[in-house]
Amino acid sequence: MTQKSALLIGGIAHIRKEWEECSSFLKLSEYPDGSREDFMSRCKNGEYSDLFAIYRSNESTKVTGPFNKELIDVLPSSLKFICHNGAGYDNIDIDACTRRGIQVASTPVAVNDATADVAMFLMLGALRRITPSFQAVHQGKWKGSDPRLGHDPKNKVLGILGMGGIGSAVATRAKAFGMKVQYHNRSRLSENEEQGAKYVGFEELLKTSDVLSLNLSLNASTRHIISKEQFDMMKDGIIIVNTARGPLIDEAALVDALKSGKVWSAGLDVFEEEPKIHPGLLNNNNVVLLPHMGTSTWETQRDMELLVLNNLKEAVKNGKLITQVPEQKKAKANI
Amino acid sequence: MTIPKVLLLGEIEHAHESWNSLSSFAELITPKSTTRADFLEELKSGQLDGVLVIYRTFASADQTGKFDAEVIKLLPESIKFICHNGAGYDQVDVHACTDRGIKVSNTPTAVDDATADINLFLILGALRGLNTSMVALRQGNWRGNPPPPLGHDPEGKTLGILGMGGIGRNLKKKAEAFSMKVIYHNRNQLSNEQAAGAEYVSFEELLSRSDIISLNLPLNQNTRHIISTREFGMMKKGVVIVNTARGAVMDEDALVKALDSGHVASCGLDVYEDEPKIHPGLVANPQVMLVPHMGTWTIETQTAMEEWNISNVRSVLETGALRNVVPEQKDMK
Repeated sequence: MTQKSALLIGGIAHIRKEWEECSSFLKLSEYPDGSREDFMSRCKNGEYSDLFAIYRSNESTKVTGPFNKELIDVLPSSLKFICHNGAGYDNIDIDACTRRGIQVASTPVAVNDATADVAMFLMLGALRRITPSFQAVHQGKWKGSDPRLGHDPKNKVLGILGMGGIGSAVATRAKAFGMKVQYHNRSRLSENEEQGAKYVGFEELLKTSDVLSLNLSLNASTRHIISKEQFDMMKDGIIIVNTARGPLIDEAALVDALKSGKVWSAGLDVFEEEPKIHPGLLNNNNVVLLPHMGTSTWETQRDMELLVLNNLKEAVKNGKLITQVPEQKKAKANI
Repeated sequence: MTIPKVLLLGEIEHAHESWNSLSSFAELITPKSTTRADFLEELKSGQLDGVLVIYRTFASADQTGKFDAEVIKLLPESIKFICHNGAGYDQVDVHACTDRGIKVSNTPTAVDDATADINLFLILGALRGLNTSMVALRQGNWRGNPPPPLGHDPEGKTLGILGMGGIGRNLKKKAEAFSMKVIYHNRNQLSNEQAAGAEYVSFEELLSRSDIISLNLPLNQNTRHIISTREFGMMKKGVVIVNTARGAVMDEDALVKALDSGHVASCGLDVYEDEPKIHPGLVANPQVMLVPHMGTWTIETQTAMEEWNISNVRSVLETGALRNVVPEQKDMK
């Protein structure tokens, strides 16, 4: 029986050895860099005509552009699985994949701790007004000319929008700091999963939270879920933390809300048009900004790469995935 | 009978109502002097005779200098109590106070949460190596070029807490939410209940076993430079060190050398040996996370500290005794 074929798009940084060991049961090929046009033309002229699965690295969108309908449609008909490195997969058109019979895996769980850790770093930094202090120290000005007091997280209400794996991990940490946790989610969690967090409606979350953490996925219905209308509903002096996806927030509206004082401070790891950042954020001393570092650790990067590979192995050996994206699992249940 | 006098050294920033309410029990006075030399003169002149209790702040040392033996010696006979606003009281020579029969109080507990919060923030910042990318972003270079090295997750790492007092124990609970395993060294081993599962180890074992070391001990003659060249040599290669206690518990120059050699991968500091001066080797190191002694800098905590310190003054005025004394004086009559 001929070996199945797998293509690595982008690179592998931590599990090179484990990837190459797969050559005992998989034909391995790679597309480490190139261009979208080049990749699509190779698909069209049959270079990958027996391709069974793709290992899509985290940086592969830089190589081929997004896996939108246009690209999905030229993938070989032999392709059955796309194993994506990333908990966020908004750069893959899942519907287009489903219609072509391609199953897609992402990397949830592996990202939970590291992303929640960054959320807490940003939350604490925003509460404690860390940015002017950092800057003053580095300019040799100690506390600066106008040191201002921050706030303690204790007894503040943390609202989590999107109580998935990452949101739950944020909740666990926030509770240790004495915060009261409430959340809004597509559907309410079981009591066991909630771990004492209070389920509230979307508007109540906006109106009653002192700190709002975005931990939901980006898709057509969640784009700009936080915009002027939502800021207007929030408490004066709210703190916003976003480690999910930039386009969830209307960045210009956030800048306005910061200027007016509606939003007292923000901690952001993601931006609407990364790597571009709205100048109003860069000019604001009360925000803590990170360049999308949510999972940037040795341990988590390795775990993510391993999860992608394990999905690939499961696909080859058993014709299914370990962490298939939820949209496709629901689609299957409807049959 | 004369109404007692309370001397305020420094400012009341938040708890004005509580402070002013003391005026029904005492005359509240402030010094005329604004420099140490003038303060010593004022003490010698007898102008501050009759003061029973002093409320002093950390920042007041900018005017009076430290409350060392020289100052203590000149305090009028009437002074029986010094209420220090701050958990760390190394500015006050407690032994000199004890010799003169003066009791000293500080403000523990009120500081625990805020200090532990900054401590954990620095642990995350140093361990995750977030400083370089934050700076690169602000310079318009996104992550920087070359991109920053990957950091490490706290999950599963061993956090060694040196000094398991109120702040250390508060830190332990928060660190465990990040799945760190906590070991500690302390003057005395804690009860099982207080230790709450943290493993007691010797000083040397703390140094050699920890992935992250947090300094949470007071500064005194025994702890000055407790972390120096010898101790760095005993630590794991790649260790991360965080200090929110007092700068002088660590030899800052030795720290810079250990960072430059790579033995210490990164550090997070809130305090420095010679504040507000910072060793240039630290400022020049992109891997380290530095903040300017802001451990208790929140509205809520600053207010709580003032309230506690004022309540100590009130307790003296109402009952003749403090609510708490510093540990060194616990057996003082």
